[in-house]
Amino acid sequence: MSEGTFKKYGKRTLVYVFLILMSIISVFPLYWCFISSCNTTAEILGGKMLPGSHLIENLTNLFSQQDVLSAFKNSVINTVLVLVLSLAICSVAGYGFEIFHDKGKDIVMGIIMMSMMVPFVAILVPLFQMFTKMGFVNKYIGYILPSLSTPFLIMLFRNNARTFPKEVLEAARMDGLSEMGIFVRMFVPMMRPTFAAAATITFMNTWNAYLWPKVVLQTPASITMPMLVANLLSGYVVDYGVVMAGVTICTLPTVIVFFILQKSFTEAVAGAVK
Amino acid sequence: MRQSSGRKLTMHKKQQLIGWFFLIPATALIFWLSFYPMIRALMISFQGGRPTALQWSDPLTRNYQFLMKDTVFKTSLKNTFTYLIIQVPIMLVLAMIFATLLNDHQLKFKGVFRTCIFLPCATALVAYSLIFRTMFAYDGMINSVLMKIGILNEPINWLNNPGTAKAVIIIALIWRWTGYNMIFYLSSMQSIDYAIYEAARIDGAGAATQLFKITIPLLKPIILVTAIMSTNGTLQLFDESVNLTKGGPANATITMSHYIYNTMFQNNPNFGYAAAMSFVILILVAVLSAIQMKVGDKRE
Amino acid sequence: MKKLISMLLALVLVLGCAAFAEAGEQADGKLTIWCWDKTFNIAAMEKAKEMYQADHPDVEIDIEEVLSEDIESRVIASNGDTSTLPDILLVQDHSIQKFVTNYPEVYHDITDEFDFSDFMPAKLGLSVVDGRNYGVPFDSGTVVAAWRTDYLEQAGYTVADLTDIDWDRFLEIGRDVKEKTGMPMLSGQAGAVDTVLIMLQSCGGSMFNEDGTANLAGNEKLKAVIDTYNTMVAEGIFIEVNSWDEYIGTLSNGSVVGTINGCWILSTIMSLADQAGKWDITNMPAMVGVDGATNYSNNGGSTWAVVNNKDIDLALDFLQMYRNVDFYDAILPATSAIATFTPAKDAPNYTAASDFFNGTPIFATIVEFGDSVPAEVTSPFYYDARGNVGTAVTNALNGGDLDSELQTAQDTTEFTMGF
Repeated sequence: MSEGTFKKYGKRTLVYVFLILMSIISVFPLYWCFISSCNTTAEILGGKMLPGSHLIENLTNLFSQQDVLSAFKNSVINTVLVLVLSLAICSVAGYGFEIFHDKGKDIVMGIIMMSMMVPFVAILVPLFQMFTKMGFVNKYIGYILPSLSTPFLIMLFRNNARTFPKEVLEAARMDGLSEMGIFVRMFVPMMRPTFAAAATITFMNTWNAYLWPKVVLQTPASITMPMLVANLLSGYVVDYGVVMAGVTICTLPTVIVFFILQKSFTEAVAGAVK
Repeated sequence: MRQSSGRKLTMHKKQQLIGWFFLIPATALIFWLSFYPMIRALMISFQGGRPTALQWSDPLTRNYQFLMKDTVFKTSLKNTFTYLIIQVPIMLVLAMIFATLLNDHQLKFKGVFRTCIFLPCATALVAYSLIFRTMFAYDGMINSVLMKIGILNEPINWLNNPGTAKAVIIIALIWRWTGYNMIFYLSSMQSIDYAIYEAARIDGAGAATQLFKITIPLLKPIILVTAIMSTNGTLQLFDESVNLTKGGPANATITMSHYIYNTMFQNNPNFGYAAAMSFVILILVAVLSAIQMKVGDKRE
Repeated sequence: MKKLISMLLALVLVLGCAAFAEAGEQADGKLTIWCWDKTFNIAAMEKAKEMYQADHPDVEIDIEEVLSEDIESRVIASNGDTSTLPDILLVQDHSIQKFVTNYPEVYHDITDEFDFSDFMPAKLGLSVVDGRNYGVPFDSGTVVAAWRTDYLEQAGYTVADLTDIDWDRFLEIGRDVKEKTGMPMLSGQAGAVDTVLIMLQSCGGSMFNEDGTANLAGNEKLKAVIDTYNTMVAEGIFIEVNSWDEYIGTLSNGSVVGTINGCWILSTIMSLADQAGKWDITNMPAMVGVDGATNYSNNGGSTWAVVNNKDIDLALDFLQMYRNVDFYDAILPATSAIATFTPAKDAPNYTAASDFFNGTPIFATIVEFGDSVPAEVTSPFYYDARGNVGTAVTNALNGGDLDSELQTAQDTTEFTMGF
């Protein structure tokens, strides 16, 4: 009996040790990046593991070298636009594909899924040429348009719409709710975890995007945070303290957003379990 | 009776019609911004010459014929599949293990663990490539720690050896993306009624039985999604190859997308050939996805 | 509920309109310039702007920071439509051939509109395509060998011992220094082949024949260079690192005795304030047993190109600044950008002794070195060939047969050229 108890607790301890180890591995590179923003280049290359006293100095250098505020503002505007518009467009579409599915729509869905297979580098040039003609270069719309409707989000919402109970749907129709009404009043509240997951993922992808913005946003006034970080590495002389300060400023918003959305995520799940 | 069924049919038809309006914005955007440029790229894949004066190739499939003879392309194909075969299974299994452990209602500090493991996803690709490059540098942190513990006698030049450079890319990919996949599993697991697990436990089912008999069958759709997404993502792998190893040493880590990028932007630009290579990726992704869907269906 | 929908719709509409707003401003009728380094070419252009505007107060000049690789990808993405491009852009010297050949509609032929006399001939040749000039030369990439005098002293050597020598003598010294101090003489990025190509040009070699065909397989100069290079690496006299940052790291933390690179590396070295007075420069070792071997070479450097845009005349007038000795003199202290316009070498800042480098008047010395650099045959396929040579060098280092590796490089390069 006591052996069994030991086995049980031993196993439990093992699980904790494993999870703690994995958490440390996951967090360490970010920790290292954050503390490095407080150190000088020499300290960083020397492998210093504790925060130093050069944060202010690094930040001052960073802000004097680059227009951080403008890049940050651009990143925020771009990300918020993509977040709101793409969640609206894709959730409606994913819901539509599942709830009203018939042969025609299934075929369209299949075709849409195929677009996921197109390597982005392949369509980069034709896309840029289209955008040049339409005058979208250097504008927010140029940045956001290609990420508004993604097969991935559509698929995510479509798959989750499968768990939307048919009885609720039928009952709402009986009550005379319009189809859009059912979506907004029934589906959206029920699918909060899905929306939270979709929002988290979209936020991170948009905030961190690099290849497309690099091509479509050409003036210093329109660059985003990841581009600014890359610019810091461009010179013949690299100040790692400044680079890490830039990386930290670039990374913090996604970390914060993750913490915020994670809370609503958990709440929604707790509600569902009840 | 007849009248009512007729009415139902029109109701149904009406709903199906309304359904199209739900799809139009998303579908139109994808056709406009993904398929239209893709068709243009397909046409370009049969063309050659300098980018602003492309001409039809003679014979039309000339670019595709060159593919067979291109050693760098073959290397990139081999590298990409190495990443795919090693990284995707390890990552998905790890994600499933994390999700299962974190779905345990008795586990303390769940939120902390979940946050920690998901956190790598918050880093921009530019940023994490830079961080890994510095950590795995010759005189970097990893080498000095391993030497201090006594595992190594002399530093390993991680990124300058074909084997270890691939390993670093795989480690970096697993680090960056495991938490991402875990979130999918976890959010799907949480929609499974926890009572099922409790009932199974009372029946004497162990953790492994619960995983294989309850969780995996119920999570099959989402597992399929993550498998297809990871396959797709790995076949299009770009940023890590560019930022972490620059494809080196001697093309030992270059991926297909990276080679396409080089063909367009780094070397003497050859749009036709780049487009032809892109369509090879597209076909590979399509075939692999189809296989995965078939396998996914069979298990039912 | 309806309220909710209409609110949602309104939100989408507002955001949709916001999306059309300009993220940045794009003005017309002024000069726009793209370049990429705040402490170097951007600083130089800012000075040029200041001096030009003193005489032309009404001309608006916009200098924008764009990474070199981004400038290239945007020219490619523009697909010949110059409306999205600036009036003047900076090009890496070895990219000019590639871009002018592929995008003749983007680059303006300035042969008859600019005076090219008094520029370094080796430099000028890089921006000539089919006998026409497509660029105003900017900074020099003349190779210098920079050494830590304190380390050399520990091993019993001086910079004079490393001056006007050949690689055999260099290897002897290298072995001795390594034994006495434990330190490698040089460092460099693995697979980047900078050093190999520097050595190749020093003896007048090239990866291409005069007629533009690839010259890799059976290129005796190239083979001799790779052999010498691989000997250095194998013996630990040259340490290969993985990235540019690591290379800079070896200099800043003093783990190598010195470096052989384009003179722009000096601005990096000079930023290491704690090492002031410990450095000196000289010329590089010459190849042994190879025709035309010299102690001089070139690596890197960039050139201003004029884009076929609305303000060509204004751009050319502005670029006259690059024939102005006072301008070169003025930018030197802050940027260390060394002129390829030869008359600049007599300017006061050029002839001044540098305390950082042991009192050597480094700038005048470098301009002098520049006169002896052998001209190089280049090609639009320069980067293709360079990548293939890098693969060959790496594979040969790992035990591959150099002849067959160079044959593979030749085949791969010809394959690309065959399109």
